[in-house]
Amino acid sequence: MLHAWEQWDASHEAYARCQALAPRNFECQYLDALVLQRLARHADAATRLRQSLTVTPDYLPARVALAEALFEASSADESRRLFESLLGEPRAEPAAELGLGRLDAAAGLHDLAIAHFQRAIALFPEFGAAYYALALSYRAVGKIEDAQRALALHAQFGTRWPAVEDPVKDAVLALRDDSATILRRGIALADAGDVAGAIAAHEAALARDPSLAQAHINLVSLYGRAGDYVKGEAHYRAALASGADLGEAHYDYGVMLGLQEKWDLAADAFRQAIALNPAHAQAHNNLGQILERRKDFDAAADEYRRALDAQPNFRLARFNLGRMLLALGRNDDAIAELAKLAQPQDAETPRYVFALSAAHLRAGHKDEAVKWALEARRLAVEHGQQELVAIIDRDLARLK
Amino acid sequence: MKLSALSCQLSAVALSLAVTAILEPVAARQLASGPIFVESSAASELTFTHVNGANGQYYMAEQMGAGVALLDYDGDGDLDVFLVQGGSLGDKPPATSPTSRLFRNDLTVGADGSRKLRFTDVTDKAGVGARTYGMGAATGDYDGDGDLDLLVTSFGPEILYRNNGNGTFTDVTRESGVGDQQWSAGAAFVDYDRDGDLDLFVANYLDFTIANNKRCNDSLGARDYCSPRSYRPVPDRLYRNDGKGRFTDVSEAAGITKADGAGLGVSTGDYNGDGWLDIYVANDATPNQLWINQKNGTFKDDGLLSGSALNAAGNPEGSMGIASGDFDLDGDEDLFVTNIVGETFVLYANDGHGSFDDARARVGLAAPTAAFTGFGTDWFDYDNDGWLDLFIANGAVNIIEAQRGEKFPFKMRNQLFRNTGNGRFEQTSKAGGPAFERPDIGRAAAFGDIDNDGDVDIVTTNNNGPVQLLLNQTGNKNHWLELRLQQPQGNRFGFGAWVGIERAGKPTLWRRVRTDGSYLSASDVRLHAGLGASAAVTAVTVQWPDGVREKWTTVSGDRVVTLTRGTAK
Repeated sequence: MLHAWEQWDASHEAYARCQALAPRNFECQYLDALVLQRLARHADAATRLRQSLTVTPDYLPARVALAEALFEASSADESRRLFESLLGEPRAEPAAELGLGRLDAAAGLHDLAIAHFQRAIALFPEFGAAYYALALSYRAVGKIEDAQRALALHAQFGTRWPAVEDPVKDAVLALRDDSATILRRGIALADAGDVAGAIAAHEAALARDPSLAQAHINLVSLYGRAGDYVKGEAHYRAALASGADLGEAHYDYGVMLGLQEKWDLAADAFRQAIALNPAHAQAHNNLGQILERRKDFDAAADEYRRALDAQPNFRLARFNLGRMLLALGRNDDAIAELAKLAQPQDAETPRYVFALSAAHLRAGHKDEAVKWALEARRLAVEHGQQELVAIIDRDLARLK
Repeated sequence: MKLSALSCQLSAVALSLAVTAILEPVAARQLASGPIFVESSAASELTFTHVNGANGQYYMAEQMGAGVALLDYDGDGDLDVFLVQGGSLGDKPPATSPTSRLFRNDLTVGADGSRKLRFTDVTDKAGVGARTYGMGAATGDYDGDGDLDLLVTSFGPEILYRNNGNGTFTDVTRESGVGDQQWSAGAAFVDYDRDGDLDLFVANYLDFTIANNKRCNDSLGARDYCSPRSYRPVPDRLYRNDGKGRFTDVSEAAGITKADGAGLGVSTGDYNGDGWLDIYVANDATPNQLWINQKNGTFKDDGLLSGSALNAAGNPEGSMGIASGDFDLDGDEDLFVTNIVGETFVLYANDGHGSFDDARARVGLAAPTAAFTGFGTDWFDYDNDGWLDLFIANGAVNIIEAQRGEKFPFKMRNQLFRNTGNGRFEQTSKAGGPAFERPDIGRAAAFGDIDNDGDVDIVTTNNNGPVQLLLNQTGNKNHWLELRLQQPQGNRFGFGAWVGIERAGKPTLWRRVRTDGSYLSASDVRLHAGLGASAAVTAVTVQWPDGVREKWTTVSGDRVVTLTRGTAK
């Protein structure tokens, strides 16, 4: 229980007592080692893991944890031997390759490290930590562009890690059934696109703690995505009654109203969100889009500008501002804004660059228009955006 | 005017002042085996208690403050103390709130070298008691008149006080062009464009407002402060000094707005060794930024590529305070960043070219910091042995289980680490004295030789608690040197200068002239270096902010020396 609730010092004491009473109990030794790792006591964790493996030598998560603890405790040789022994275990192989790469990188052997990181990624293509380590080794050998590509993939995959099934640890974590934990599960399900599962988890969290304002607010959005606007409305009212985080409540309600094309009500909701949080960039942007629908381009441009004041790297808002400036005939201003979107290059960049091409065309800069249209086409091909490629080809044919 | 052209204008008087300001002989102090630091705030009448205004609503701003600045505002040769106040948030009108306070240092030194330290509250006379929910403080001579001005960041617009040079300040926020409405935290004065005057970088934190306060609970369902991830980061600001008392917001043109982050600590240094000043920002739960100066008025964030933005697993940490300095005596600036409980505090070791290695475990700083949430920190050589040590002000931001039920269950002990000189640190908190045994909610920490006895003292603040003055008792067992740099005009204190203290048979001690770093704090602008067993100094090399180098060969230790530009010999 203490471990599940992240009471690290207290759980370590409890596990230590357990080990004194039952020295051959694997769970106490192994779980104590996990707690010690959280306390950054890696050498102590390694000792416990060695003890646990004398009881249950084949428990794979313990073998991985021991190799990692030894690496952190600067016991490089033993860590390497253990990681190498894990290469024959398919479930642990990505983590082993990462560990061997980190050992090589720490020794300055970056070419060897890169090979290990690449194998880790080949085994688990969403391995965020391996992309980050790869980027640092590429940097060390002067391959800056490769490093930047690896960093972009790290940004995409974040903390994803090839989990090794660990029933002992899972049994501990399952003890925790508080509302915050259930809410976190619900948010994870929503992030993974499981709207129904996310709604169920949020409702379960609220059943435990009806005052959980965040759950009400998230359900406004989730029921909106599910098309159940009546329940979404009910949770909006409940969120308002809670009195907490009203800015987000109004914002999510505005989005739900937008999904129903109730534009005036949605605009009111976004304005209420902005009144509570003037730096709410998304609310400014969405309000701008509603004003744009009403052909009030000046006001829409103002909202997009406010969104950018609050969040200068909000690329969609800058794109919208560029479009509005074009609509207002302010071609040079539009070019200045849209030109800022040429970097960084991601899946959105092709259409931004294509808009820059259109702005140059409006301004009478035909050569620039062709140049940026070709660049947009190249990027669209790179990102597999065939529909956009066809549109650009059609416009290029007209231009020529 | 180019600074390199100024040397010919120096008067004979100025020349005669070079390396003459031997201000303080070493005090003949009995070497005792007592604590390293003695808490002396009450004894010296430095009485101040931070008020966070907590009223049960768990407003984010309540738990973040507040800061401290050490500056010789009246030019009498000793460090005065400015303490930033919070106040009330929400419904209560600001007129009922207490204000920040300025304490004048009335240090007296007896004929026998004995020192009596006493502070006098001069806030009202000085005119620095504006009511705002203050966060931090930064110092710099932005108007080039030879005294340090004062910037106060806040939950609300920042305030810029111009030092009038007569013991008073004037609030010049409006006419100077600063005063952004965002929630500002750390700040630094830095001549990033080498035009001879100090520009200003302000780290802004989150889009939290009273009206959009969120309700967050801890794992047991009790109301607790939200994670910074509950709010969105707001953009930092870079203001260019136009040389006439006005700043222009160049954040976008300089590229500063291209990366987001919940900014807290700020430090300046030349992290890639190209001679131009860069800016490092500790961002709470978002990647730290390393703004590399492109030498054309713009910056590029090299944090991720440099290895100084994330932990080894590629995750951002709860970065708060920064120590920037050459801990391993290899001639470059390394970064130590305090984090949140469970993460451990990180040491990013610089390879001299702006690539960093996460060395926290290797140097022994991971395990001892795992149970702490750290804020103010800096490298400083508390025992004057020539190796930079560390102090860390700790205090939680979420309920500590063992303190549940107390009114402010966020108390932690501060920490002291000694650099052993062989690439490792050992914790010396117990030897630090009783002040290190008493848990409190540590936040800011500013460093400087407050009693002018040759060792570095600390002023540290506590959230919703009293200030602490930690007077160093042991530093002058070894030899030392304190340097004050002086330029004829513009950036008069030489902010950004890189100073090497050369010693026979030993590595050069490198120091950067700056007052930034730590957390919400401004430290002494004078440089301090411990010299170990010998007071001998072979030479002092100064690389001025515009790149011009000078070398003095007549400097010796155990004194405060003023180095005036153009007078090297």
